Amino acid sequence: MGLLQTGASILTALLIGALTRSNWRIYLLLACSVLAVYWFQPLLPLRSFDFWLPSLSLALVILTWLITSQPGAWRLPQNIIGLSILLGLVTFIDLSRYFLPDPVLTATTPPPFIQYIIFALLVGLTLFVFTWISRRSPWAIWISILLLILILIALKNPELSLQASIFLRTLAKRSIENASFTDLRWLGFSYLAFRLIHVLRDRQTARLPELSLPEFATYVVFFPALVAGPIDRAERFAQDLRNEFTLSQDAVLLAGQRIFLGLFKKFVIADALALIALNDALATQVRTTGWMWIIVYAYAFQIYFDFSGYTDIAIGTAQLVGIKLPENFAAPYTKPNLTQFWNNWHMTLTQWFRSYFFNPFNRWMRGSKKNIPAWTMILIGQVGTMLLIGLWHGITLNFIFWGLWHGLGLFLQNRWSDFVRRRYPDVGQNPRLQPVLQIGGILLTFHFVALGWVFFALSDPTLSGLVFRKLFGM
Amino acid sequence: MRKFFLLLIVVLLAGLALAACASRKEDAPAKAVEDYLNALVAKDSDRLTTLSCSDWEDDALLELDSFQAVTTKLDGLACQQTGTDGDTALVLCKGKIVATYNNEDQELDLSVRTYQVVQQDGDWLVCGTR
Repeated sequence: MGLLQTGASILTALLIGALTRSNWRIYLLLACSVLAVYWFQPLLPLRSFDFWLPSLSLALVILTWLITSQPGAWRLPQNIIGLSILLGLVTFIDLSRYFLPDPVLTATTPPPFIQYIIFALLVGLTLFVFTWISRRSPWAIWISILLLILILIALKNPELSLQASIFLRTLAKRSIENASFTDLRWLGFSYLAFRLIHVLRDRQTARLPELSLPEFATYVVFFPALVAGPIDRAERFAQDLRNEFTLSQDAVLLAGQRIFLGLFKKFVIADALALIALNDALATQVRTTGWMWIIVYAYAFQIYFDFSGYTDIAIGTAQLVGIKLPENFAAPYTKPNLTQFWNNWHMTLTQWFRSYFFNPFNRWMRGSKKNIPAWTMILIGQVGTMLLIGLWHGITLNFIFWGLWHGLGLFLQNRWSDFVRRRYPDVGQNPRLQPVLQIGGILLTFHFVALGWVFFALSDPTLSGLVFRKLFGM
Repeated sequence: MRKFFLLLIVVLLAGLALAACASRKEDAPAKAVEDYLNALVAKDSDRLTTLSCSDWEDDALLELDSFQAVTTKLDGLACQQTGTDGDTALVLCKGKIVATYNNEDQELDLSVRTYQVVQQDGDWLVCGTR
């Protein structure tokens, strides 16, 4: 997201917060979020896909809402209004090809109306059939979760993405010679999928309260958090939407401070650090050990300031419309061990994995009749979770190594803490030793994380190996 | 509920009417070439691809590659449809591409070639030159 889109988001939020009340606020937020889904989607070499992919995102949102809501809920007035807003805006965007000289909300001219009608009819039919099945079989929710995971896998794996691109190019009668795994850059799908899976799982476990379509759709595609989170919880988000909200001067000031901090972090500090931060080219060009450490440190701080800056902007923008998005970062580089680092880095993602993988998986292992030793359970649980977090970023070797690095790191730290607690129970109480342990822990954790970024930042593990050799003068 | 479906039908019919009656813009092929040339000098390969027909995609990207090492800009671009050849619209452009390398300008006259533009799925796409 560039400065223009960020600025437009902030201004839109300010206007909505200042001028609207209760229901109007929800409907306007929904409308702006729907428009943002199209506006934020980057141009793709496959013609009209900057229209089709956002439309599919919205279709998945409606499908998930239909499956998770009470039968007949769509007949309620607020849901019909929500559906009308969604359909009306998508239709308007498509029809704009006939009355606007240049596309405004999409990167390229939207497809002809007749194609849109066929798409809408197919989506409508799929929604009807799937909802009908979901009322009769609990498997529909599992199938939906599986579908979301399969799309995520296809988008995250370069080989599958390439095959999908070749398939779609063949369908569109385009040259397959130029097919690339980057052809399908589906904006915000990773976050969208995780929000939808959270709702589907909570529906299965009967933890999900009833949400109206405008509340649900706004939650999933809320424009300040569309591109890079944070991943909120649906029931918490809906509660904020339902609360009466008046934009006060104090709220504007607080939100403004947060947004300004975020803009500074992202567009000043992170962008400046990006010039010297570790990347594929620098990994081969830098020759000395000292400089290699500098570019690794630069990357560690760049990724933090970029991501936490973005989160600050999202949180501040959301505050302008009365939504308190959850925090995503809490000074992670100042934590004295890896567990605490992960409790304070991309917190909403780690909480998601804890809720929907780590905890259920551990419960399953403990409940199974096989006598698995405690340390094995910790090893499998932590490595498995971190491996999945790595794969969420991309199904490539570098992210697998990054996941393993952190999974094994968490396991070793857990075993070490356990050992020290048993062997030296009073070591933490010694006032002279405490600051040494604290500072030593922070430095050790930071360097462990920074070295982990070597896998994350580089596309090829061979390059990572080269960087490690240079870092340690080998 | 009935109102919703009624509204849906009205929107559908209005959309179809708009799509059918939308006047064929006479300058659409010329506009397609101008967009194509703008994408070319901006070195925007994704946009260039969406503005080229399938047969011309490779050539368009090859042309873009030839500009990778230089700074490019358009000077005095104005395109006009000059005729048709079957389903193909023929477009002639005035102006030039200014390619700069090491403070040295090289001007490429755009009027020396005629662009062939075809309509696919309602969009005009550049499909070759003469």
